[in-house]
Formats: sequence, C-alpha cells, structure tokens
Amino acid sequence: MKTSKKLRQESRRLFRNCIVNGDLDENRVRQTVRLVISEKPRGYVPILSHFTRLLKLEEDSRAARIESAAPLSPETQMQVRQQLTRRYGNRLNFIFTQNPALLGGMRVQVGGDVYDGSVESRLRALQESF
Amino acid sequence: MSTLLQEIEAQISGIKTGVTKQNVGTVREIGDGVAKIEGLSDAMLNEMLDFGNGIIGLALNLEETEVGAIILGDYTSISEGQEVRTTGKLLQVPAGKELLGRVVNALGQPIDGKGPINATTNYPVEKIAPGIIKRKSVSQPVQTGIMAIDAMIPIGRGQRELIIGDRSTGKTTVAVDTIISQAQQNHAAEQLKDASYRPLYCIYVAIGQKQSNVARVIAVLEEAGAMPYTIVVSASASDSATTQYIAPFSGCAMGEWFMDNGMDALIIYDDLSKHAVAYRQVSLVLKRPSGREAYPGDVFYLHSRLLERSARVSEKYGNGSLTGLPIIETQAGDVSAYIPTNVISITDGQIYLETDLFYQGIRPAISVGLSVSRVGSNAQIKAMKQVAGRIKLDLAQYRELAAFAQFGSDLDAKTQAQLERGKRIVEVFKQPQYKPIVVEVQAAILWTVQNGLMDDVPVEKIKDFQTKLTEYLTSRKTAVMDKIRAEKALSDPLTAELKAAVTEFKQTYR
Repeated sequence: MKTSKKLRQESRRLFRNCIVNGDLDENRVRQTVRLVISEKPRGYVPILSHFTRLLKLEEDSRAARIESAAPLSPETQMQVRQQLTRRYGNRLNFIFTQNPALLGGMRVQVGGDVYDGSVESRLRALQESF
Repeated sequence: MSTLLQEIEAQISGIKTGVTKQNVGTVREIGDGVAKIEGLSDAMLNEMLDFGNGIIGLALNLEETEVGAIILGDYTSISEGQEVRTTGKLLQVPAGKELLGRVVNALGQPIDGKGPINATTNYPVEKIAPGIIKRKSVSQPVQTGIMAIDAMIPIGRGQRELIIGDRSTGKTTVAVDTIISQAQQNHAAEQLKDASYRPLYCIYVAIGQKQSNVARVIAVLEEAGAMPYTIVVSASASDSATTQYIAPFSGCAMGEWFMDNGMDALIIYDDLSKHAVAYRQVSLVLKRPSGREAYPGDVFYLHSRLLERSARVSEKYGNGSLTGLPIIETQAGDVSAYIPTNVISITDGQIYLETDLFYQGIRPAISVGLSVSRVGSNAQIKAMKQVAGRIKLDLAQYRELAAFAQFGSDLDAKTQAQLERGKRIVEVFKQPQYKPIVVEVQAAILWTVQNGLMDDVPVEKIKDFQTKLTEYLTSRKTAVMDKIRAEKALSDPLTAELKAAVTEFKQTYR
C-alpha cells in the first residue's frame, strides 16, 4: 500500500513515542493502536500499516537468530547469550534453530549483522577463491 | 604438478579461517533496475552491494528504514525477499593499456568477443577530481585534424570542449575524426621513433546510442587503424538506465589511469543528453524529488563532477592529462535549454554545429560566431598562430559583408576583395569526414590562402586546388613539410621555401 509522506511522518512520530529509554514499550504500542482505531484520524489505515512495518523492522533488529548444525548445549547457549547481550544490550530476543546445511559451526544474525563461522561458509569462500 | 600443489596450498592458507562478519538486508521491492532493501544498516553511499549470482548493485539512497540501490546487471533474476550483502568496496573498473583496442561495457567487461581482459589495475568509478595545486595550465595542442577547429577553436590537452548541435549535424563525426587523427599521429611517431612526441590515447563512451551506430563507429575506427589506440565503452539504448548512468564514469576512470601514469588521454562522451535522461529515470524510480523538466536537483553536479575529472596535472604528479569532449544534442537549435546551458557553463568552450550550415554544404557545419575555445591560442603551435590569427576576424567580416552584399549594391574593390577572400576561406575549411589533415599541411594551406595565393583560383575550384596542392606538398616537397612539423613555426626562410613551392605548383595547376 502506498503511503503519503505526511502519513509516514505521522507513523514515525507515533512509533518514536512508543520508545521509552531506548526500548520499545509494548503497553504504549497497544495503547497507541487502540487510540488510533477509536479516534479514526484521516488516513488511519495507512498510518497503522506503516506503524506495523516500523514495529516489524524494530523486532527484526532485536531478533538474534542463532543457527547451528547440531543442537547447542545449554552452556554454549548461555555463552552466546552473554556475548551478544554484551555487544547489543539487553533488548535481544534469542531464537535458536538447527540447520544441518551448515555442516558445522554456527551462524548468528542480529538485525543486519551476520557472524558466520559455519563450515559451509568457509567451503564457499574457498570455492570462490579458486 | 608440484607448482600447482604449491599454488593451491598458498590459496588455502590465504583463506580467512576465522568468523566473518557481514551486513545483510532483504529485498523489499524490485523493479526498473532499482531495488529497495530493508536492513543493510552499515551500507555507505555508492557502496557495492552483492545480490548473489554475480549481480552487483550500488547503494544510492540511504533512508531511515531502507536502502535504495541500482542494479548493475540482469535485475530480472532478483526477487523480493532475497538476501543482499554489503561488500565494503566502491565500484571499480579495470584500467590500463590492456583495454586498448577493446570494446567493453560499463563495468569494464569485454563485449567484443576477443576474450578476457587481463588488466592488473582497477580504478574507482567515482573519484574526486584533481585539486587546484595538482593542476597545470593547458598548453599542449590536441590536433583534431579538422582545419576549422585547429585554426579557429583550438583544443588543448586537459581542456573540456563541448560539441553541441542538433541531430545529424556531424557531432559524432567530429569526435571520430579526432580519434583517427590521434591514431595517425601516434602511428607516425612510432614509425619515426620520435621520443619527444606524447601519444594521445582515446576513449569513446557511447551512452544510449543505437547499437548499429556504435558498430559503425567501431568499423570506421578499425578501417582507419585507430582501434589499437582506442577503448570503446558501450552502454547502448537497450542497456538499463543504471548502466547508461555508470558508463561515462567508468570511461573516465579508464582515462584517469592514463593521466595518473604520466600519459595523455582523450575521452568522448556521446552523448551527455542521453546520460541526463538515464539519470532522470534512475532518480525518479528512486523517488528522489524532481525539479525542472523532471530532472533531479543534482543533474548539474552529475556532469560537473564528471567533467572536472578531465584535467592536466603538473610535472610533480606525472604531467599527464585527460581531455574531455562531451557531446550534447540540442532540439531545434535551442542552446538555452536546461541541460545544454548546464554543460556549456561547465566546459572550457563549445563547438556549435548548425543544421543550416550543414545543408548549405558547409561540413563540418561549425558556426564560427557561436563557437569558442577558452584556452585559445595557448593550445596552438606557433605556425598555426601565425597563419590562423586573423582568420576568425576575416570570416566574421565576410559574414557581415555577405549579408550586406546580397542587396546587390555596387561595392568598392576592397570590399569585393574581402568577400572573395571570405568565400575561399569557407571553401578551404570544408573537409570530408574521416579524413583528418596533419598540422603542417593545415599551416601550409592556410598560409597560402591568407597570402592571397588562392585569390586567382575560382571559388568552385578551390577544393580541387587544395587537394592537389596537398598531394604536391606531401609527395614532392616533403622537406618543407618536415621542417614545419619539426620547427612548429614559420620562420622567414621556411616561409620563402613554402612560397616557392606553392608558386611552382600554381604554374602547373589547371
């Protein structure tokens, strides 16, 4: 859906109001959505659509996806959590998954940053160098 | 076998074995050669992005929640949701003498079917122009081989001279003639083993041209033996707007290699009108705000940063140069339109080609009144300055008198003489295409006409007289021509020899 510049600006303003101390306040998000639906300002549907998109982007930036070829032990998982929390702060949501295609090692993605220590990526790098 | 094993082991040890960090994003929207990517938080302006499968893009729009990138390659294979990585690199193209004689696309990849190009150097497509201190003033000539230009609108190495005119007025022909002239001079210097001559290498950038036109230009250059000194960069009309946008910058990067390595190069942008149109398309798809005639607000900067990279650098930085010949196509002779006025204000002069002159048979159809070279006689050898100094004035006076004389009034002898002289000068400046004239012959011809030795030749026989005089001087009086070429000036003894030669020729001319 195409949203006009003014409506996008309004969405961004509402989104910024939901950020408290650098963190997304979920209660404020719910209140904001309820208020917009009840008040029905002009263009409220595209405003909410763009607001949802901003929320999704924020959630993606806070999602830490850890893929491994084999299941990780609880100690290893704790270590990974600590390392990532030290680098990115407390606001991360950790998601541990298994991906046998990695062959070995781990691939960590936090927002747009990807740390790839998998065997598959090293083999790919070797192949590209040839 | 052991060498192969060593090579493989070296490659394996060179691979990073640690964890690699990359910045990735996801394609949200793709169309018209432009992709909108979510993520890519670390992307920088003009950074190369990797779309996978060998497709690369350039990050041009850095917005709050997404990055707008242009795709350099086949964008039809990119789909929404595809992962994109930053590379941390600026776009680079191969540069060096290995590209001479080759036809390449905007990314420097060969498209002439003659195999890969083993270039050892890569140059960035976008680069800051040489600063003020690095530059030197223009003093060496570019002999285009077109007498009207070399006499009245001389071009120097490191200058930017715009070629502007309507469609089919001979703009590309002027450019191609210049390339052929440089090739002939380069070849002659190689034959004579003249160490003092600095060869001029040429780069022809075709932007938005029909492929048949580009093929014809290449065929002409090959026939004239000019391709070994020329690089052709082609972004034809069937290529995407993003490729057409990048092509002039790629060509400029190739030219800068010559300049930075102490050599001289000439680059022709054919043409920048189509380049501006391609940039307009890219900007509109990127949703950048549009201005006059729907061009983006920075269309001036597009051409100014390109043309500023043509310069002459001082001895401390290699004494190289890059001469720019941008071409602009006007509509109905309107030089006051948006893009033409932009480029006129950037360049160091313009060669204006008029449709009326073209159809009157005056080819090259150069309008002497509207054409100018801001470098002027600094870029002429002394011999040309001696013979061509008054020509522009003589032609201007002739045009004034011709307008007056058409009313049929009786004219005094002096006015008649000026009119007759002007007609002969106009005839002498007519020149067939792809036949450049060397500077010593130009000087001899212009000396002949300026000293009244053609006054008794009927106007309709001037071209025939000129052709036969040229043949006579280049075959029977090579010593005089060699002296003009070597001394680059018409001393009194040399003038006397020239006069004797022309007088001798006239006695046999019928």
